[in-house]
Formats: sequence, structure tokens, C-alpha cells
Amino acid sequence: MISLLDIVGPVMVGPSSSHTAGACRLSHVALALLEEDPVEARFELHSAFAKTMRGHGTDRALVAGALGMEVDDERIKDALDLARARGIAFTFKPKNMGPEAHPNSVAIHLRGRTRSISILGASIGGGMIEIREVDGFPVSLTARDPCILLFYEDRPGMVMRASEIIGRRGINIASMEVLRRGKGDQAFMRIDLDAPLPHEDVAALRQMPGVHRVHVLDRVAGGAPIT
Amino acid sequence: MARLQTFADLIELAREGTRPLDEIFLDEEAAEREVPAERLRQTFLERWAVMKDSVRRGLAGGKSFSGLVGGDAKRVIEFTRGGDIAGGHLVAKAIAYSIAVLEENSRMGVIVAAPTAGAAGMVPGTLLALSEERGIDDAATVRGLVVAGGFGALVAARAELSGAAGGCQAEQGVGAAMAAGGLAFLLGGDSETCVHAAALTLQNTLGLACDPVAGLVEVPCVVRNGFTAMLALAGAQTALAGVRSVIPMDEVVEAMVRIGEAMPRSLKETADGGLAMTPTGCRIRNDLYQIK
Ligand code: SF4
Repeated sequence: MISLLDIVGPVMVGPSSSHTAGACRLSHVALALLEEDPVEARFELHSAFAKTMRGHGTDRALVAGALGMEVDDERIKDALDLARARGIAFTFKPKNMGPEAHPNSVAIHLRGRTRSISILGASIGGGMIEIREVDGFPVSLTARDPCILLFYEDRPGMVMRASEIIGRRGINIASMEVLRRGKGDQAFMRIDLDAPLPHEDVAALRQMPGVHRVHVLDRVAGGAPIT
Repeated sequence: MARLQTFADLIELAREGTRPLDEIFLDEEAAEREVPAERLRQTFLERWAVMKDSVRRGLAGGKSFSGLVGGDAKRVIEFTRGGDIAGGHLVAKAIAYSIAVLEENSRMGVIVAAPTAGAAGMVPGTLLALSEERGIDDAATVRGLVVAGGFGALVAARAELSGAAGGCQAEQGVGAAMAAGGLAFLLGGDSETCVHAAALTLQNTLGLACDPVAGLVEVPCVVRNGFTAMLALAGAQTALAGVRSVIPMDEVVEAMVRIGEAMPRSLKETADGGLAMTPTGCRIRNDLYQIK
């Protein structure tokens, strides 16, 4: 069920919930996955996103998200200048992603000093978002609830070991998705959790043999805990 | 919201218990999020404060980003103060306040999407106008806001609320329906009446195109919020008088989804049709983006 607070909300800077707030959240997710400051940000925009980019401040919002701003940050309108001042290069390109793609789709490529990340996502209305690809892996992420992404080498026992680490903490796994490029090739696991995983457990996941990287997404796109 | 998926479920739930609509919605959300309902009510009060503030900032005036809009909310309210009104203070305020929020939005000011930014005007605009005219305090007004939010959530369970997916009916149509439900609730309507208010309002926005000039959330969006606010008032007024929507709300929502699917892409936020492609619309776009 969609939350009432997503409907009467978010509290955001205008002008468009899907083209400004949603765009900001999409690149905020990319930043969370990059886990370091970006030096370069490239954005490829589909259909409605590309057509109305400047008018809706989508360009500023995308860059703002990559700078770590939240949707109600009044500095969103100055994001392009702020990025320039920090020496972050950014480019925008229209890209036809085909008739099946959501009209508000964007591919975001962030590069930091030591790593890069690419995501494909869509802004699906009212500021809500969906990530459809992470580094080429098809996923379905709303980034609202706590979630762990694991990239690892496909070998037996990985799912069990990961769920053991999480289970020890008494945290419930809400849902899970496991994908691989091919047998023994790179594999990917998405684990949705009912509560955020403490740092030491994330570290334990990172130390599992065969694990390449582990990403933590904790309510990046709204769904902020109400306490 | 396992038991609450549709407007029919809502009417059922309201019938069997003694809880008013706002409590039903807050209880469901509280159960889902595992937080106390009172804490949620508090969050709604905070959002209501931001909404009122966005009306205030919007009325203070100032031009939009592009220079196309700005100052209309102030115009409407000042004209009203002069005494020349066609429709009474409630109507004039509802129009002015709804426009004010969107003017603030067009300046990249802080607003509360309801359900979207482009349709953020009519819920706060109409509820604030009513609360001022009837002397309803914040705590009571927020109950109407919760009902409006709950109505929006029920629609969103079936339909994507964006101009890109469903045209403006899915943004301002839904916003107006939410407002109508909230207004009817504040005016003492029972749950069925509130749902009829929303249904009557939504069905009268079906087919509304999303055709923003130059792709900006300015023309027709800003002034349109004032007009769809009127639909919300009409929806509440007629439903409270006993007018019933022949087509039930759940089916009106289904109709909206299908119309949205049938609409050409040019009328769904791409700025490739409708008002955006009129000679004046094109000229504005070309001037703005220096297209020769
Ligand atoms: S015309 Fe389009 S952009 Fe403007 S408010 Fe309606 S749906 Fe939003």
C-alpha cells in the first residue's frame, strides 16, 4: 500500500515531483551506491525526462542528488554552480530507451576517484522512484526500505552465508532476489530488510570470500523512519 | 492496508465500525509502518504547517523561473478585498491560495506535493480557505488533510499519479478529488458522501491533457490549480446535497487509467501537443530556449 505520507508529500522544492524530486532521489541513490564523492556525473535522459529537462529543473535536481542533497534542499536550484565549484564534471544527453521504457527514465553514471556506478531508474510519479538496473543487472528497487546489494562471484553457499550474518542479528529478511550473469560468473543479490543492518554486519558481508562489493541503501528515497 | 485496497473497502470499514475516516486511514498506516497513529497525526500537522507557509510565501508574489507566471494569486486576493467578487470569499480564497502554492512551486520554493508538485495547490488551497472562513482550527483541518491523503493513496494503488503516465487527470484530477473528499469530511459528510464528492470531482476531470507550455510546470498548471480547486468545492457541495455519482469511485479510477493509456504521448507531459504546441506556446518555448 502506498503511504499517505507519499501522497501528502514529499516536502520538496518545486517545480515537479517526478521531474525534480524524483530526479534528485534517483541520483541520490546512485551516490549512495558509489559510496564516495563523484568527480564525474553523466546523465542520459529518455522521452518526457529529456523533453522537459530544463523547464522542470531536472538537470539541477539530478546534479543535486549526486551532491547528496535531499528533495527539500533549497540549494537545488544552485546545484549546477555548486557542482562546478567543487570541480565535478557533468553532462546530459537525450537517449531513446525504446517504447517499453518508462517516459521518465534516466541512466546515471557516476565516477568517483576509485570506482564508478551506473544505474537505470525511473521517476514514477509523486516523487516516487524505481531503480531498474544496477551496473547492468536488472533489479527492482524503490530505495525506500533498508536494502543490501551484494555483487559476488557465483559459487555455492553464498546465499546461506549472507542470510546467516543477517539472521544472527535477528533482522528479518523481507524479500530477496538472486541473479547471475552465468554459472560461476558475476552474481548479484538484493536483500530487503525490515530494519537497517548494523555496520559490523555489513563489514562481515564484505569479508565473505568471493564478495566483490556490498552496497547499503537505507531509505535513500523517502520512507524516512517516523519515530 | 490488507483490508483497505479500494474505496468500496473503505465504505465497508466505515460502516462496520465507529471510527471516522481519518482514524481508519491513520490506523491502517500506523499498522503498516509500526508507529503510533498519534505520531503520524503529528507529521501531518507538520506538513500542514509547511502547506500554509507555502500559501503565504506564494501570495507574497514574485515571478517564476521563466518569468511566465507569478503574481496571479495576489491579484485574485486583492481583487476580492476590494469587494468585487463573483462567488464569495470561500471561492475567491480557494482559487487564490491554490494558485499561490503553484506560484511558489514555480520559483523552486518549498511546497508539499499533494499528490504531485504540479497539483500541489488545491488540497491546501481549499482546506485553508474553508478553515479560515469557518473558523476551523488546525487540529480539525488536519483530519480533512488525512482523509485527502488517504483518498489519494487509494487512487495511487491503482493508477500512477503522473502527467507522463496518465495526463493531467492523474495529477490535478486526483488532487481535486482528494480535496473534495477532505472538504466533504470537514463539512460533516459521512464516509459515503465523502467518496461521492471525490468521484463526482474526478469524473469531471477525465481526459484532462498534460500539455505544459515549454515543458514548464507553469502554463496551464499554475492557474489550473485554481480552477480544479473549484471542481473540488463543487464536488463537496453537490455530494453533501445528496447528489450521487452513478459510477462508483473505484470504477471512475479505472476509467481514468484507461483514458490515460489511450491518450497519445504528445498529451502526456512531453510538451509535444495541446497548449504547448499552439503558435504562442511554441514561440514562448523558442524564446526561452533560444531555438531559432
Ligand atoms: S499540465 Fe501536466 S505538468 Fe501541468 S500540472 Fe497538469 S499534469 Fe502536471
